[in-house]
Amino acid sequence: MLTIVLQLIINGLLLGGIYALISIGLTLIFGVLEIINFAHGEFLMLSMYASYWLFQLLGVDPYLSLLVVIPMFFLIGLVVQRIIIQPIIHAPPLNQIFVTVGLSLILQNAALFFWKADYRTVRTAYSTLCLKTSGLMISFPRLVAFVLALAIISILLIFLKRTYTGKAIRALAQERRAAMLMGINIYGTYRIAFGIGIACVGAAGAMLMPIYYAFPTVGALFVLIAFVVVVLGGYNSLVGALIGGLIIGIVEAFSGFFLSPHLKEAVYFVIFILILVFRPTGLFGRG
Amino acid sequence: MRKSITAFLVASLLVFVLCISPAAIAAEKVRIGALFPFSGPLALLGQESFNGATIAADMVNEKGGIWGKEIEWVKGDGVDPKKAMTECERLISVQGLKLIFGTYSSSRSYAASEVAERNKVIYWEQGAIADPITERGFKYLFRTCPRASQFGIMAVDFAMEVVAPKLGMDPMEMKVAIMFEDSLYGTTVGSSAAKHAMEVGMKVVGTDSYSLKIVDLNPVVMRFKAREADVIIATSYLTDGLLFWRQAREGDLNVKAFIGTGACHGMPEWAETFGDEANYIFNIDPAIGINPEVLSPKTREVLKEFQERFNKKFGHLPATHASLGFVGARVLFEEVLPRAGSLDPEAVREAALQVNIAKGGTIFGFGVKFAPPAHPAAGQNLLAHPALMQWQEQRMWVVYPVEFSLRDPLLPLPTWEERAKGITRFVK
Repeated sequence: MLTIVLQLIINGLLLGGIYALISIGLTLIFGVLEIINFAHGEFLMLSMYASYWLFQLLGVDPYLSLLVVIPMFFLIGLVVQRIIIQPIIHAPPLNQIFVTVGLSLILQNAALFFWKADYRTVRTAYSTLCLKTSGLMISFPRLVAFVLALAIISILLIFLKRTYTGKAIRALAQERRAAMLMGINIYGTYRIAFGIGIACVGAAGAMLMPIYYAFPTVGALFVLIAFVVVVLGGYNSLVGALIGGLIIGIVEAFSGFFLSPHLKEAVYFVIFILILVFRPTGLFGRG
Repeated sequence: MRKSITAFLVASLLVFVLCISPAAIAAEKVRIGALFPFSGPLALLGQESFNGATIAADMVNEKGGIWGKEIEWVKGDGVDPKKAMTECERLISVQGLKLIFGTYSSSRSYAASEVAERNKVIYWEQGAIADPITERGFKYLFRTCPRASQFGIMAVDFAMEVVAPKLGMDPMEMKVAIMFEDSLYGTTVGSSAAKHAMEVGMKVVGTDSYSLKIVDLNPVVMRFKAREADVIIATSYLTDGLLFWRQAREGDLNVKAFIGTGACHGMPEWAETFGDEANYIFNIDPAIGINPEVLSPKTREVLKEFQERFNKKFGHLPATHASLGFVGARVLFEEVLPRAGSLDPEAVREAALQVNIAKGGTIFGFGVKFAPPAHPAAGQNLLAHPALMQWQEQRMWVVYPVEFSLRDPLLPLPTWEERAKGITRFVK
């Protein structure tokens, strides 16, 4: 029994690491731009395809492809923010939702048009590699994703704490008008924050590629969980998103094993509702 | 105002022309509706099913057609169940068709056949397997392919009759775990397997269903491992099926037999993804590549001609879906329509109910006899059944029922450790 519980914790944490990485991008965008990016899952899908094509056409290992995918998605983020998000930044929330949902539909169907509905996967030597220690199994690609996710989140936190741009992003997240009065270039900062958010989800996509499959609607599967994580973590707290992701991962592993895999969605949506009722600011949110 | 009146007149003229012209053409051709998902996520296999049917039409047309008239397909695109309904409606009311041929996807078939029945138009289903389609007592619906529940029942029978004796186990002591995705397809197959296993008295240690949207199947792997399952019966679409097998390896889940029931475990992607790790897995589907001894001499010739023509027209050999389309269309064109004498739905119905093709009379080896309207599965081909295959050397071979088989089943499934060491059970 003890091994099973330990194994479930390991599985849950490893899964949670991936959820966390997808969610921090969403959290950052929400916290700073105050826009709910419904197209977040589609950026995940695009980055999975990017990593897939780099592997298929140029033979680039998915982990190595991070070096290309992260800067590429940062640039994509900048462009998308400038062209699509910036014009709606002061628009009513309903309009913002329409725009990002529309963007998600366009990206999904463009992917369907260009790459068909086929499921794409990469076969690497380590895809199903597993480390065994005293009866416990640790999946290698999931472990790598977990460690890299922690690394990326730490780098991001240091960046936000130490650099001028990072401080500007935090200032904007705290109080838009005061930040503006202090002479912060708000549109430039928005752009960078959005770029970083998309780069994070880009990294998540590349790391998912050895574990999962790319297809046009793959984003929707993960982004639903990411929204729960963001609410759990408290909307604009990166640490909250990390811990929220890990919690959801563990909850999923345990409820799937002890209750039924069928009910896992029900379980985390119950958590979702409970948080909204009892702690609407999330675990780490400021009121 | 005048502009809109003109527009209205032009539009009504167009509608008029569209309504009239098909009727004029109908005098020279046998026009049949082809309702498949031709676009969207299911387009690949929808198109493939239809491709198979076109070969049957080509074969008839080259011999002068039916009643001396050429067969002509009128396509309708059933992207989703709702669209399938409106397209069916269009084929019937605008195109004036009396017979709709389709649909491959169960949910689309279920929805569209409702429209056909209401209009008293024949709905000819060649490949959608969900049981409920023929459980509604429809008079104008016929289905040539087997039903989903037969897949689940066959999996249990195989475990009991073949797996247990081969492993020297008492079938009643064997622990069976059942997993399925929870859409119409998975639920029908999975619950029929669970029901049948309990009826025959096998030990069912788990029935786990999950949503297709699942991104992690570790909990299922761990549950089956904790309960020491001997046999897994799985109904999976592609992503979930591939995910499970990956995670079964990561979690070192070892069972003695793994029986898939269509979709994932019968697709080329299965072998493409896993290579040699795809081997030893069983799969249930309407089988191609059965022992030719089962087929009648005439059917053997038909099969050869079908494969040659299909390969020539589409550049690859027909697989399960194309063959389903071919069988469905061939029964219709060779057996039913010549007997009916016209496309009048009543005449086609009467003719269909008279069809009686013996075993070995279709390229799948099964015969054709439709259940009469009073039967609980009205319109179903009662002689249709799937076969059980095993992946050996990355190819599927029929292994059950024995008379259909070309190879013996290899048991037990090697453990992951044995696989890593390169131990195989193939008899060279």
